[in-house]
Amino acid sequence: MTRTVGSRLIGAAITLFIASVAVFVILRLLPADPARLILGPLASPAAIQHERAALGLDQPLYTQYATYLVGFAHGKWGFDYENGTPVLTEVVTRLPASLELGFYALLFATVGAVVAAVASVGARSHAVDRIFRSLAFVGLGSPPFWIGLMALVLFAEYLHWLPGPVGRLGVGIAPPPTTTHFYTWDALLHGRWGTFVDAFRHLLLPALTLGLAPFGYLFRLLRHSLMEVSDEDFLLVCQGKGLTRWQALLRHGVPTALLPALTALGLLVAQLVAGSVLVESVFDWPGVGQLVVNSVLAREYGVVQAFVILSAVAFVLMNMVVDALYVVVDPRLRRPATVSR
Amino acid sequence: MWRRAGRFVAGRREATAGFAIVLVIAGFSWVGPLVWRVNPLSVSLLSSLLPPTSRHPFGTDEVGRDVLARVMSAGQLDILAALAITAVGGVIGMGIGLAAGLRGGVAENVSMRLIDALLAFPPLILALAISVALGAGTTSAALGITISTIPFYARLMRSEVLRVRALPFVEAAEASGGRPSRIVTRHILPHTWRVMAIQASSVVGYAVLTLAALGFVGLGVQVPTPEWGTMITSGLSYVLSGQWWIGVFPGALLLALVIGCNLVADGLGGDTPVSLLTGPRRAPTPE
Repeated sequence: MTRTVGSRLIGAAITLFIASVAVFVILRLLPADPARLILGPLASPAAIQHERAALGLDQPLYTQYATYLVGFAHGKWGFDYENGTPVLTEVVTRLPASLELGFYALLFATVGAVVAAVASVGARSHAVDRIFRSLAFVGLGSPPFWIGLMALVLFAEYLHWLPGPVGRLGVGIAPPPTTTHFYTWDALLHGRWGTFVDAFRHLLLPALTLGLAPFGYLFRLLRHSLMEVSDEDFLLVCQGKGLTRWQALLRHGVPTALLPALTALGLLVAQLVAGSVLVESVFDWPGVGQLVVNSVLAREYGVVQAFVILSAVAFVLMNMVVDALYVVVDPRLRRPATVSR
Repeated sequence: MWRRAGRFVAGRREATAGFAIVLVIAGFSWVGPLVWRVNPLSVSLLSSLLPPTSRHPFGTDEVGRDVLARVMSAGQLDILAALAITAVGGVIGMGIGLAAGLRGGVAENVSMRLIDALLAFPPLILALAISVALGAGTTSAALGITISTIPFYARLMRSEVLRVRALPFVEAAEASGGRPSRIVTRHILPHTWRVMAIQASSVVGYAVLTLAALGFVGLGVQVPTPEWGTMITSGLSYVLSGQWWIGVFPGALLLALVIGCNLVADGLGGDTPVSLLTGPRRAPTPE
């Protein structure tokens, strides 16, 4: 098992290395002149020269790559001129908002997908199945920013049930004391019910919007594996021993069906990262995704570069975690250390 | 012939419905402007932000351009770009996958490592990075999306080639002395088309969606050229003041088109869940 983990680690390291080369090629070599990209079309030739020297563009390529990699590893991600802060600081301050949103989106998507898949397979009703399958189709086919827009029109503008796009908290509500950086959790930890309700109301629409695509994906996966599991003999045995069909499905079918869904976790994280870029700016959510959109518009180059690398790291790490989780969840993958004692 | 067509359709209701949706939207985009002869670019500040009426069935936007005309013209651009992306990415990706599957060895290892590295980025983020580097515009956005689709094809093609190569009839063709090039074109490739067609139709949906997403972020198609994504962006600032029609119509068409493409992919693929382009990673098999 140590060997499997070791080879996985090496594989991930190689992938990350090539990915970092890819980022280097894409963002440093593809543009005709990165200095021009940073300084904008109005910069003077002298300033461009200076910036080129500062970026090390006059150095050989391998030196440039090494400098770039070492600098990134040391947290030198450049300066965000738009906000007047280093990129690292800006990303770190905004990360909790994105993580909180992503957490709830994943939670809603997972819970929703499990419930929908169980209902679809268990109820044996074409209508129920069709409703959830259509919802999954909408989730997979819809531009998240447009869904966010529709949700705002319906629930904020027309029905006035939920707040509009104003960020994480309403006006006049102070953020809770910082412990976990998640507003909802902090509010609960410190017993501020009003703040919790307000924070939750604010994240409900963005989280549901962000979770719609992962829901669609997860539902289809779960439905498929649950259908396969429901034909297995062991469920029949469970029923023979006195469980009802639903009890057997819920207690023994769902955990088995969840196993293949684990492999999708890395893909779901990728979906969430990409989705956050599109959803956060619709809801004025002060997270990393919104920062990226603003940076693209303001031609803030360092932010985009940092974000691209970080999302690759997150994706690769997530896939490694999934592989490790698999060994924990599936006993068949745990080979006995010694055969004879 | 009609009876055969009827049987084909009856067996693939989902795919046919999806194809019909795509056809209707394409017809709307190309035939529509012949009927509705309004310039999608003509500005008229006096008639800005008008709600949908018979003069402007989809209303007008913030500078008085007719939303219906713009939606139709955007449809042409989006569909054409998506088809081009799908075709170019498909040819390159399938080429890489075919080469890797046939040659094996170092070439396979290197190319598949590169493909893995591209897959390490969420596809939208990869497309975003490339179009940031190349500068905002339709071409660079399309190029970025094209590159982000290459891995989808390459991995699938490689595994398909490996699968088909192991089948007995390929062995038979080899044993009876068929030329390698003929074996590839006559025996291996035809057996990959179905899977590749499924992949291509879901890539069309992905391409439309990503092009709109890049437009939404401000990287893709630039104003004043109408494109669904950028139209949704400009609708965003008017939604909360009650002018919902600017963003709603382009998004609805976009949604319908992507669902149509996914239905086609799904219907052709049978009951297996569409592997959302890259497909779920294979679960490690118990030893």
